[in-house]
Amino acid sequence: MKILEGIRIALQQIWAHKLKSVFTLIGVIIGITFLIAVITIVEGMNRYVQDDFAGAIFGVNTFTVVRRSQIQTGSESEERRRQQLRNPYLSMHDVEVVRRAVPDAWRFSYSVDRGFSRVSYNERSRKNIRVIGGSDGYEAMQGWDIAEGRGLSPLDERRSLKVAVVGAEIAEKLFPDESPVGKRIRLGSTRLEIVGVWERQGGLLGVIRDASVLVPISTYRETMAWRRDRIEEIQVKSNSTEEMRAAMLEVEGALRRDRKLRPGQENNFWLQTSSELLGTWEKINKILFAALPGLVSVSLIVGGIVIMNIMLLSVAGRIREIGVRKALGARRRDILFQFLAESSTLSVAGAAIGIGFGIGLGKTVDALTPLPASVPMWSIVVSLILGLVVGVGSGIYPAYRAAKQDPIVALRYE
Amino acid sequence: MSVENDIVIQTHDLKKHYVMGTETVRALRGVDVSIQRNEYIAIMGPSGSGKSTLMNLIGCLDTPTSGEYVLNGQPVQDLDDDELARIRNREIGFVFQTFNLLPRASALHNVELPLIYAGVSSRERVGRAKAALEQVDLADRMDHKPNELSGGQRQRVAIARALVNGPSIILADEPTGNLDSVTSEEIMTVFDALHDAGQTIIMVTHEPHITAHAARVITLRDGMIESHDAPRAVGAETV
Repeated sequence: MKILEGIRIALQQIWAHKLKSVFTLIGVIIGITFLIAVITIVEGMNRYVQDDFAGAIFGVNTFTVVRRSQIQTGSESEERRRQQLRNPYLSMHDVEVVRRAVPDAWRFSYSVDRGFSRVSYNERSRKNIRVIGGSDGYEAMQGWDIAEGRGLSPLDERRSLKVAVVGAEIAEKLFPDESPVGKRIRLGSTRLEIVGVWERQGGLLGVIRDASVLVPISTYRETMAWRRDRIEEIQVKSNSTEEMRAAMLEVEGALRRDRKLRPGQENNFWLQTSSELLGTWEKINKILFAALPGLVSVSLIVGGIVIMNIMLLSVAGRIREIGVRKALGARRRDILFQFLAESSTLSVAGAAIGIGFGIGLGKTVDALTPLPASVPMWSIVVSLILGLVVGVGSGIYPAYRAAKQDPIVALRYE
Repeated sequence: MSVENDIVIQTHDLKKHYVMGTETVRALRGVDVSIQRNEYIAIMGPSGSGKSTLMNLIGCLDTPTSGEYVLNGQPVQDLDDDELARIRNREIGFVFQTFNLLPRASALHNVELPLIYAGVSSRERVGRAKAALEQVDLADRMDHKPNELSGGQRQRVAIARALVNGPSIILADEPTGNLDSVTSEEIMTVFDALHDAGQTIIMVTHEPHITAHAARVITLRDGMIESHDAPRAVGAETV
């Protein structure tokens, strides 16, 4: 009840001096806005990476054989990175070695690709697309479903047909008003007939599917490849994580035997899984979350000092009121709680405004950029608790000064 | 009911010394006062007589350096701050010269304040505060803030606030000091009515015509009681 009195007074004062309140609370507002915005975006990224990203790139229970690690974790030594650069390129021979090592794999495919290409149809063109030469089964491996037309067939590969399946973004850009299926697009000096379009993936990593062109690997090697014998990636998908781990061991052993590596010698190839990617993201995540408390606490401390000053002014301006309340029966703790409630209400109100701004900022980023945003409930709870802590922390000294006023002196105070 | 039970205030050899730098000011030098229930008492005295100090002690805003003070059967001379606050809340209704209302709160909320500190539930509080305001004829001004009220109305809000918790005594410190003579009489009429209804009233004043309303006048001088008198005839004439 007495706390309600403090909250009531605080709300009255915020309302009576709206502009002043905003300035009073600006530190807390900025701190909490920042906190919520960062958590919102990081959480959004997090959820996205865990739910879609890893699956979109690698698929579940899938590993790839590559020449060297494509993920810079930052932890590996410069020495090791340089050594990886000396690894031999993968070849069709390696494809056969891997295929024989895992005859029971659920899915198996291999591919070559290059980025930053340009496709055109009549006057329209689209830059920065990725061209993939995929073996039979590549689409199934990636889980890319056809929206229109058909996917690549074994026959396309066997005959090295100049056919392509394109991503939704390319289809829209080049064929805004008509169906792309059956049209012939130009890719460098090659003309390709579009046989199908994939369903749109959308989102941050939609570029991987939506801005790609897939041709049979034989076609790619014969018409576009710089070095025809090179293979970029071999993909192996298993039915379960256990099978995948076993398959990885088989492949590692087979490749080492084939390349005649001695025990103790490093692999001169790289096996990559989605967990490796997730590990990298978690590291980034940890750094962000480690830096966050420092940044937020600075503005909260500044905010707390401002609130403390405002509360000291408020106490000084209401000495007489304190005297009256004491004369009417308020105990020290009643006055203490009243002013603590007041400073806490101020600060929590600032936190609430900050939460609103933070969510707004997150949503804006979500709307204007491909970065996904998601506001976790716990961040709101944490923000309100922080607001309360700042309020109590900054109010304790002014409230103590108020509570220890002598009623006789306070009543006579002018 | 015995006579002792009817005594609401009893002090014995009440002393209050203030240390100011190297000097000790003896504000009260042994005061014995006995006040019965439903008495109407005026305390007079020139400034520096110890009048304010006595009022602070009677009002439990301060504790004596030595001596005894029994308020409504309870010795209060040795209580600590929080216990004194409880006593003030339950036993004493203050009325000040400058009204001392909370400027941002409505009349109703001002009257509710002592009940808040008494821990009364919000519904009961509003009911009792309204009743107290009706008692001073301000039922139609409950939602007004102090700056929307006249001086007399403000003091009546303050009187309602003093009454609302059913105190043993009403302690009024120069209650008409800031009011014109017509309004002063209006306020004194309210006090008279309260006295008639059985309230014990102690009024600190230096205006003789105000003391005329009291049944007994205690005059202080130099920290001691100079006289216990019936009000002088000069005051009675003005009634």
